[in-house]
Amino acid sequence: MLDAFALIVMQTAVLLVVAPLIVGLIRKVKARLQCRRGASVFQPYADLVKLLRKQPVVSSTTSWIFTATPYILFASTLAAGLLVPVFISRTPLSLAGNIIALVYLLALGTFFLMLAGLDAGSSFGGMGSSREAIVASLTEPAMMLSIFAIALTAGSTNLSTIVHKTALLQGIVTDPSPHLMAFAALVIVAIAETGRVPVDNPATHLELTMIHEAMILEYSGRYLALVEWAAGLKLLVFLTLIVNVSAPWGIATSMEPAALGIGLAAYLVKVSGLAVFIGLLESMFAKLRLFRVTDLLGTAFILALLGLIFFYVLRG
Amino acid sequence: MPLMTPPIGSQLVDLGSALLLLTCFGIVAQRRLSACVDLFALQSVFLALTATLVAFLTGIHHIYVAAALTILIKAIVIPRILKKVIERLNVSRELVMNINVPASLLICGVLVMVAFLITQPIIPFGHLLTRDSLAIALAIVLIGFFTMIARQKAVTQMIAFLVMENGLFLGATAATYGMPLIVELGVFFDVLVAALIAGIYTNRLQDAFDSVDTTHLSELKE
Amino acid sequence: MLNLLWILLGGYAVGILLPFCLSRRSNAQSLPASTPAIVATSAGVVLGLLGLTSSEPVTGSLTSTLPLLTFAIRIDPLTAFFLLTISLAGLAASIYAIGYMRHFDGRASVSTLGALFNGFLCSMTLVVLADNGFFFLIAWELMSLLSYFLVVTEHEKAEVRYAGLFYLIMTHVGTAFIILTFFIFFQEGGSFAFEAFRYPEHPLPEGMKTIAFLMALIGFGTKAGIVPLHVWLPYAHPAAPSHISALMSGVMIKIAIYALIRVYFDFLGGQFPWWWGFVVLVIGAVSALLGVMYALMEHDLKSLLAYHSVENIGIILLGIGAGMIFQTYGLKEFATLGLLAGLYHTINHAMFKALLFLGAGSLLYATHTRNMEEYGGLLRRMPWTGACFLIGAVSIAALPPTNGFVSEWLVFQSLFLSFHIPDTFLKLILPLAAAMLALTGALALACFVKAFGISFLALPRSTHARQAEEVPIPMRIGMALLAAVCVGLGLGPMVVVPLLNRVVAPFTGVSIEGQVLALDGWALATVNVEFASLSPPILALLLGGLSVLGLGIVAACGGLVRKRYYKTWGCGINLTPRMEYTATGFVQPIKRVFSSIYQPTVKLETEFLQESQYFAKRRRFEFHVEPVFQRYLYDPVVAFVTALAGRLRVIQAGSLHLYLAYIFVTLIVLLLFAV
Repeated sequence: MLDAFALIVMQTAVLLVVAPLIVGLIRKVKARLQCRRGASVFQPYADLVKLLRKQPVVSSTTSWIFTATPYILFASTLAAGLLVPVFISRTPLSLAGNIIALVYLLALGTFFLMLAGLDAGSSFGGMGSSREAIVASLTEPAMMLSIFAIALTAGSTNLSTIVHKTALLQGIVTDPSPHLMAFAALVIVAIAETGRVPVDNPATHLELTMIHEAMILEYSGRYLALVEWAAGLKLLVFLTLIVNVSAPWGIATSMEPAALGIGLAAYLVKVSGLAVFIGLLESMFAKLRLFRVTDLLGTAFILALLGLIFFYVLRG
Repeated sequence: MPLMTPPIGSQLVDLGSALLLLTCFGIVAQRRLSACVDLFALQSVFLALTATLVAFLTGIHHIYVAAALTILIKAIVIPRILKKVIERLNVSRELVMNINVPASLLICGVLVMVAFLITQPIIPFGHLLTRDSLAIALAIVLIGFFTMIARQKAVTQMIAFLVMENGLFLGATAATYGMPLIVELGVFFDVLVAALIAGIYTNRLQDAFDSVDTTHLSELKE
Repeated sequence: MLNLLWILLGGYAVGILLPFCLSRRSNAQSLPASTPAIVATSAGVVLGLLGLTSSEPVTGSLTSTLPLLTFAIRIDPLTAFFLLTISLAGLAASIYAIGYMRHFDGRASVSTLGALFNGFLCSMTLVVLADNGFFFLIAWELMSLLSYFLVVTEHEKAEVRYAGLFYLIMTHVGTAFIILTFFIFFQEGGSFAFEAFRYPEHPLPEGMKTIAFLMALIGFGTKAGIVPLHVWLPYAHPAAPSHISALMSGVMIKIAIYALIRVYFDFLGGQFPWWWGFVVLVIGAVSALLGVMYALMEHDLKSLLAYHSVENIGIILLGIGAGMIFQTYGLKEFATLGLLAGLYHTINHAMFKALLFLGAGSLLYATHTRNMEEYGGLLRRMPWTGACFLIGAVSIAALPPTNGFVSEWLVFQSLFLSFHIPDTFLKLILPLAAAMLALTGALALACFVKAFGISFLALPRSTHARQAEEVPIPMRIGMALLAAVCVGLGLGPMVVVPLLNRVVAPFTGVSIEGQVLALDGWALATVNVEFASLSPPILALLLGGLSVLGLGIVAACGGLVRKRYYKTWGCGINLTPRMEYTATGFVQPIKRVFSSIYQPTVKLETEFLQESQYFAKRRRFEFHVEPVFQRYLYDPVVAFVTALAGRLRVIQAGSLHLYLAYIFVTLIVLLLFAV
């Protein structure tokens, strides 16, 4: 019981600490690819501290939804992160909810963020919410199908079980085709859900292009800090999900300190690697028009469906 | 001499075929014509790799020749011709589609399901390590056919035709470990000629109607 | 238990009669109707709970002078479950009505409305209690007629009369199919008693079973509002007074689900070919998706909620359809799970939909309009209603830790288990249904961001909204009761699921009591913990704890600096309600992406200033969604019937003698046949 509690605290701490780092790393990669030196990878920490200390300005037209949303968003995203095995395959809280619960916990945060976007009454917030609504809606079927395909290959929808089983196989690839398709779909879904290029641009403040930034335009001070932190966390949750489900190499399968240490180190390496990959992807593609996002998400859906078909029919 | 045990070899062949199918979907989802050509070239490379794998696993040597020809003709020569055509005609995108991208993707998904359901009764009787690829080959042919219907530009239709041909080649490799070499040579020659003719035809279309939109052909009846 | 039954029925009887007996002068006119209803529904809640836990079904009957008809009742777990659902929603609606009826002062007879309300509740109760086909049909017809009268409460409005007529016709078409279904059973069973339906003298031939399946699906499906038989629902449900809408949308359509389960799993014994389940599943998926899609385009809050009923019936049918497919293939544990998921969603939907309709009623009460574009900023003026509506919205959007999430989770799980089915086609279809459910869920989320965000947040968009005040206390109690039930059903599935298992297990033959609970009853598991588990209480604790952590971090890092209030940035000018995003604008991207389904017609007329073509004086924007089903399915049928009626006019000469001659000839012919 005490062990479990210690693990939960540790996982919370790791997620909270790593999230800004990943954001900083992606920014750095993009900057280097644009031949800029870019800010330090630790810049997001400084931003967070600064924002937390500033006096927040709250719109006088808003209701309690606006001020409560950052906390709800922060809590729901972090809770989703606690369901995913990070550095140990048997994470204690994974029994509290499986992969579907994770999807819906993230949706809870999105729901309130969309409401907060509408709350201030400015057109920007409404526009952001409206766009987020369509992107989130179209992502969902692809996400569910790819989850289904992954769950099938592992024979479980419980994240710990999936990771644990795959980790015990020591990376022997079984059935590469369905895996490959499902993960390609999941990467597209992750990009769309976390508002990265080519679906949304986290660095933009142009009303033609912004989605997430438009929703949070009215936030400032500690509220903005929490929202930004949650956005980083959400990205981290998806990256963790992808690396640990597809390649749980090095993850601790027991409670020994040495194994935990290796697990943590392996996790950091894998997640950073994927973050660099995301940075590369962002530099390679231009942002899509909002109504072309359907093409991309349609592709993700088909990929996941193909994964499923391959699993059933080729092994049938 | 088969070196790898069949299950893993079979899985790799499946993976190669799966990548072929993936590039098909890429072609369906892509609006930029030059990207479509690139995807087709990529598909041909995957096809050649799969064929090489089959040749390696089965020890049938003439498949190596077919694979080399695939690389040469379909991954290098034909894409060059197509790129030239695109450049000369100054068409870069498929702007108007008979069926839009998400709908096309969904229809293609259904086609894949159909292909699998059709071949399902046959597959368990096959003993070849490529038996699963037959379904994928059929799916590729169907998607190629569908793309010819769903797109308007002559260039896209040509690509779709070539995709169908790739599917047939994969099917032949999967069903019988390739056709006799002489037949394959003939087919390659045919494809090359077809690509050339289609290129010329596209050029003529451009000259006659100032567009490579094949819907203009319906004006010819008057 | 029989005493409770008498209290239940007696309460409704008093509730029907009492409003007429008292004088009409008192300003608390709604009390004579509501008090007996509260007593009766409370008795119903207790009776339902007792029925769910008792091991033996309770039966009772009164014979009548008519042949074939006995007023037989039977309370088995299925009946008890629906009795509980009806009574819980009814209880909240009765309390709510005490305040809400003031809305009708001088516009409708409050005593008549109160009596009809009681009668409606009573008829629904009788439908689920009935253990005799004839009795069932009488109660069913009563339910349909009374709800029709309630729908046309505001009959001075033309659109209400249209909605009523549409409803009346559709429900009777449905009833005709139900009667045919029962006749099929009667033919082989020899009696209208449900016992004879269950164990007929001669087993039903396969063909007859199929016909019974289809007839029941059409008949009960019309009431449930499955696509394409749903068209009446978005007209009729919103037209009724709000607490009645809550009952119609929350409870009445569930009675049809009750009847479907009764027919398929009880009368037909749960033995059916795979395509039955497949048909139910496909209808469920299509209803769910189209329901939410049309809901998104509605800006009349009550119509929006009515379309969501179509959606949720679809989700319920997804669970039931999956259960039926599993049943066919002998995967009885999963069949139990699927059916259980459907039933869980049934009570959940009853609760949150009733809550949302009561919330919509409160908005109507406070602002006198149903148009969402005229709301706005109401959360500050009506905090109680707002909070309750928010809980309802979170529930219907299936977000943790509320009840909608738990039941959708169960539906997802049962669809995920499809890989055990031996048929490849079905293996692929069930995941696709899951994907459609995922899309439905995401669109429902978007829809309720719209419904709550446009109505309750930002600036008021009209003078009505600016002058709105919080509703009277009884209305708040009614809503709060349902909100509490929603949260309770969400946090305590570990209590609910074993109870539901008692309802379902007799039909599928396998109880999953032993495997659904994990972690000493703290979590829910579908097959075993390794496959899937969910613990809403732990999730809720986690969410609470982590929110506190967020607060703690903020306090530790910066201290809670006082926040400064300032107006929203409006690009340099003062923000007005006209600058806000509207409901129409909010869903525009969705409308555009799914334009092939909506077939929208948009008309934009611009009138320019005389001086310049660059300055518009006024713009007129019109937007319609093509009512596909009405145009391509119903209009041809209506045209055909009208044409047929035109032909028949020939024999209607208007002469009394001729009509007498008709009767005479008929009499002679019948007599000849009788020989």
